[in-house]
Amino acid sequence: MIRESVGEEKMTVFVCGQGIEDIWCGIYDAWMSRLGHKNVRLEPEGRNRELFCEYREVTVEDWKAEKVTESIRRKLSEELYEVVYRAALSEDRDRADKIYRFLIYAFALGTGVVERLQIPAVYEVFRMNRYLSREYSHIIEFARFSQMEEGILLGRIKPNNDLLSLVAVHFADRLSGENWILYDCGRKKAAVHQANQGWMIVYADSAEWQERLNKKTDEESYECLWKTFHTAIAIAQRANLKCQQNMLPLRFRPYMTEFVVPNYSVKPNL
Amino acid sequence: MLIQEELDIQEKLKILSDAAKYDVSCSSSGIARKGKKGTIGNTLAAGICHSFAADGRCISLLKILFTNQCIFDCRYCVNRRSNDVVRTAFTPEEVCTLTIEFYRRNYIEGLFLSSGILHSPDYTMEQIYQTLVRLRNEYRFNGYIHVKAIPGAAPELIERVGFLADRMSVNLELPTAEGLSRLAPGKTREKILTPMRQVQRGIAAQNLKALNDFGGHANRKQRGLIDPRERSVGLTNAWQDFSHHRRETIHTDIRSWESGPAGFGKNGAAKGREIGMADTIAHPGRNVWSSLQMTNQRSFVPAGQSTQLIVGATPESDYHMIRVAEALYQNYDLKRVFYSAFVRVNDDSMLPSLPGGPPLLREHRLYQADWLLRFYGFGAEELLSEERPNFNILLDPKCDWALRHLEQFPVEVNRADYGTLLRVPGLGVKSARRIVAARRSGALDFPDLKKMGVVLKRAMYFLTCSGRTMMPFSLNENYITSQLVGAEHKKIWDIENHDSYRQLSLFDDYQIVAPVSGEDRVSAVTGLL
Repeated sequence: MIRESVGEEKMTVFVCGQGIEDIWCGIYDAWMSRLGHKNVRLEPEGRNRELFCEYREVTVEDWKAEKVTESIRRKLSEELYEVVYRAALSEDRDRADKIYRFLIYAFALGTGVVERLQIPAVYEVFRMNRYLSREYSHIIEFARFSQMEEGILLGRIKPNNDLLSLVAVHFADRLSGENWILYDCGRKKAAVHQANQGWMIVYADSAEWQERLNKKTDEESYECLWKTFHTAIAIAQRANLKCQQNMLPLRFRPYMTEFVVPNYSVKPNL
Repeated sequence: MLIQEELDIQEKLKILSDAAKYDVSCSSSGIARKGKKGTIGNTLAAGICHSFAADGRCISLLKILFTNQCIFDCRYCVNRRSNDVVRTAFTPEEVCTLTIEFYRRNYIEGLFLSSGILHSPDYTMEQIYQTLVRLRNEYRFNGYIHVKAIPGAAPELIERVGFLADRMSVNLELPTAEGLSRLAPGKTREKILTPMRQVQRGIAAQNLKALNDFGGHANRKQRGLIDPRERSVGLTNAWQDFSHHRRETIHTDIRSWESGPAGFGKNGAAKGREIGMADTIAHPGRNVWSSLQMTNQRSFVPAGQSTQLIVGATPESDYHMIRVAEALYQNYDLKRVFYSAFVRVNDDSMLPSLPGGPPLLREHRLYQADWLLRFYGFGAEELLSEERPNFNILLDPKCDWALRHLEQFPVEVNRADYGTLLRVPGLGVKSARRIVAARRSGALDFPDLKKMGVVLKRAMYFLTCSGRTMMPFSLNENYITSQLVGAEHKKIWDIENHDSYRQLSLFDDYQIVAPVSGEDRVSAVTGLL
């Protein structure tokens, strides 16, 4: 693409990672470069590079992230920070730049900006939030636990958006007295909750973890009962698989007890 | 009758969930409750569906019967006395274990316990009560519980259960008293409405207490639902009228409540309960509630009550059904009325035969209308009338209404008030709210509406943005109808409505007008050509 330079400065592209810290730092670097909002852009790593652009790598520092989040929380509101935080967890590859564009409007117009969906930058953040919250409610609906030895509950999920931490908050309130592990198969990280204590996110891609996660669960009886219930509760005269699939998309089913074909050694007699 | 006591739990679950499946309600909504240390579970105001069955219905709660033994012989019911099916019953232990173990694995949101009538209504209600006591106190379950109030059970039993459950329901089943006496000889209208009224009064009395304790706001929050009519007026004003009206009626209610046999606290049911939600602050000096304050326990049916109507078992029209539903919402403060397309499970001469299967489309239309009543400020009279007693098969009730009131359209998006926007087909509560919020800071155009979730396919015929429609069309009932009905249904519609909009064609025959001859008249009667 050939840019006609009409006396304007060239585009500077800030390349940042996909983590939430990276995004905050990218926003900080781009904003504080003082090159003008229209002359900077945030991009994820690994994109094809354009001609006539200057590329800068974003360095991740805790203080930068803190400055960004602090000024959003203090100068705007806690509510708006949540909106932006959720957008940063989105699966959208361009979320860093979208959040940057949104923040320009947010700092100019105040917290009321979230309602102004006719502004494309606001709409993009709204869209990411909407998708995230829809997927969030699907995950808290469809996540299934099974019991490992010592009564530890293990659940597997594979969300498109990075919402493990949000989901963990939900289950920490609900199953506060249980030891449970919720494992994000796509990102290979897990939320680990200890009964009556807190929870934390651990990166579970080590061999030790994989072995632990693949241990056999002692679940035949309750899985079987649940499948019995799931089958018995449907009214045959009303069968509507299409409706079922609209409500419960196929991508969730590999992780759901009632849709997994059993590989029991002994078939329970139904 | 074959009673099997020795079945294993798998068999029991199969029989008793299969027997419970015709009850539609499976919602876990209406109450938000945080988790609590030492207990298991919480609830979300919006409810959570955990799975969907092969019929596309949501599975939110462990929906089971306590027993499928029944002394009644309701003709539509699979569990009626005269049916020869395997009978069994859970023990309270089994129900508790199943609920907790399913809940831990995130299979379910809670328990929906219903039951056939074993021995007597009181006996059955007592069994349910024992189960709930155990589940709440021994198993420390803090999740959602929905139970049936058994018609004919003693009021104090129903009250005790109400303090343990989140939602209670009594199924009206058939919209008219005569239909009920024909198909459900063991039940009467009064028997069904008595517990419903009792639960309503209990909730109202509790709300009044909250009103006195916190001032109006707490009450409104707790109640969660405002009558649709009141909602459509300005909220603040409506709220003032509303609370005033409430106080009046509730005071009289409480007097009768005190003198009646079901007085709160006459029995020690509520004493010593520990799981109670401490969200109602004790306020000494009000004698009606003195016993409640001492025990500091759970609130009474916090998620409200619901009921169910069977669609198509008796010849009532849609108009009749939604009139009944509207009356229930207004007079009994129900949270939900559920509609259940009649499934012919028994071969009975009193029941209609349904060669086309259960009337699912009719059920769907009733749900659509129900939403219009509850959230869109419509009245039953606006949607249907004695002259037009049934819903249009091809159009949803809102489109149908809009087409009959084209004089009110098109509506200008950038100026119309919220109530008017809600009445536009293709706009919902969320999108109307987004529009009202967004237009404060600048005019909206059709692409903006699309982003906000407006279904332009329907809404475009009823909206203008800054005075312009999305594309030129004639605001003509027949034209818009044919567009809305869509290609697949167009043919049927054209057959039934002869003077509808038609595409001009070179070879059309509809301009040929021949006088009707005597021969034609004869053949029309005899059917011979």
